[in-house]
Amino acid sequence: MSGGGKAGLAPNQKAALESWLTGQAGARSVTVIDEGRLSGGAISLNLAVTLEIDGGPQSGRHPCVLRTGSASGVSASLGKAEEAAVLRAVFAAGATVPEPLFVGADPAMLGAPFYIMRRATGVAAGFRIVKNEEPRRELARELGRQLGLIHRVRPGTEGLEFLTRPEPTAALQAVGDFRRWAGRYAASDPVLAYGLRWLERNAVPAGDLVLCHRDYRTGNYMVDDAIGGGRLTAIIDWEFAGWSDPMEDLGWFCAACWRFGRNDREAGGIADRADLYAGYEETAGRVVNPVAVAYWEAAACMRWAVIAIQQADRHISGTEPSLELALTGRMLPEIEMDLLRHLDAVEAAP
Amino acid sequence: MINDDPGARDLVAIALRSFREAILPVVPADQRFTALMIANALGTAERELAACTGAEPALAAAVGDLLGETGDLPTLLPRLCAAIDAGRFDAPDRQSDLRAVLKDITLARLAVSNPKRLSAERREPGR
Repeated sequence: MSGGGKAGLAPNQKAALESWLTGQAGARSVTVIDEGRLSGGAISLNLAVTLEIDGGPQSGRHPCVLRTGSASGVSASLGKAEEAAVLRAVFAAGATVPEPLFVGADPAMLGAPFYIMRRATGVAAGFRIVKNEEPRRELARELGRQLGLIHRVRPGTEGLEFLTRPEPTAALQAVGDFRRWAGRYAASDPVLAYGLRWLERNAVPAGDLVLCHRDYRTGNYMVDDAIGGGRLTAIIDWEFAGWSDPMEDLGWFCAACWRFGRNDREAGGIADRADLYAGYEETAGRVVNPVAVAYWEAAACMRWAVIAIQQADRHISGTEPSLELALTGRMLPEIEMDLLRHLDAVEAAP
Repeated sequence: MINDDPGARDLVAIALRSFREAILPVVPADQRFTALMIANALGTAERELAACTGAEPALAAAVGDLLGETGDLPTLLPRLCAAIDAGRFDAPDRQSDLRAVLKDITLARLAVSNPKRLSAERREPGR
């Protein structure tokens, strides 16, 4: 993420936020320095802010990100207070994520719920992460280890009661959601119709239920090249998190649509699957099931296709006119080609 | 309505060319992403306006063969969706016939929305 965009807080919002934070932090005073919008995130709005806290246990200067929702979301996304609760749970599980500091659940203050988390250093942009002469094997392994830690968060975890369990299984819940989100397009676009049918007929049986990130991919983690040859500093964008099959996150990470042009490096355009899988098995306490991962890769293409449809609809409906959202709708053919190629490969496998 | 000349395709094409030649090189760095999106949108619109319907009869014939019906694409595609939903393409050989036609349809759409990806597909099918 890079700063330097336009300011995001109106003067009255800034004053209200400072007064609220003073109470939350048990401080004498809190000053919010608005450093402008951060890039990235078609669904959420991220502002770089520095909190100058005077007094109380957190007294000091804290570079942070204030994250809030935009005018319209997609069906799968969590509210910001819920997203903060997920972040708290994975932070407690030891994953490398920004620590959430303050949660503003009341929409009255800034117009929508928000939370404030510590700001990580580094870049997230996928096309920059994959631009590397050698495969980034250690990074892929570390991302596998991190995913294993995240997947240790299980149903019953305190504070995550709002997350619903998939019914009747993670796979069938997913394909049911996709069918609903695809709406009328499933009746006129035969690639969507075929993908949905395939996912229903080949649904993987219920397995472990764990906390899945559901957007775990290159572009949603930050790497600081100034530290130790490129260290993972944060896993970000938790708005799609939910209980699901752990193989879903591995399939999403490896799906063709998230390789940023490096199709020779199947783990997110950075390295081989073997590196990611080895890291995962170190911490997850379960082995990778390649058949299930292949199923979830097909599901990944379909999920991205229906999200693209929803993004485009935010523009088409007039709710949120946006060139970026409009162009996302036009990505459908390439997403669908990825799906068809993947199903060719799966069906050709012995 | 009377459509005056030059037509929509010509206007979009010359607007895109002027934008690329005169505006894009002087756009400040923080607006570059938006500028590239504008060029992308205009390019897609131009290709869509230019897309001769030349490929459509062949695609319609291929879909018609799958279904054992005749008609144009806008008529046949919803029928194909319904046939897929009804399980008429569940058998493995039917699925592979279906995928071949679906790939041809998708390639035709890529020609409008993403010609770069289309040429990559042609260079190394299956990538």
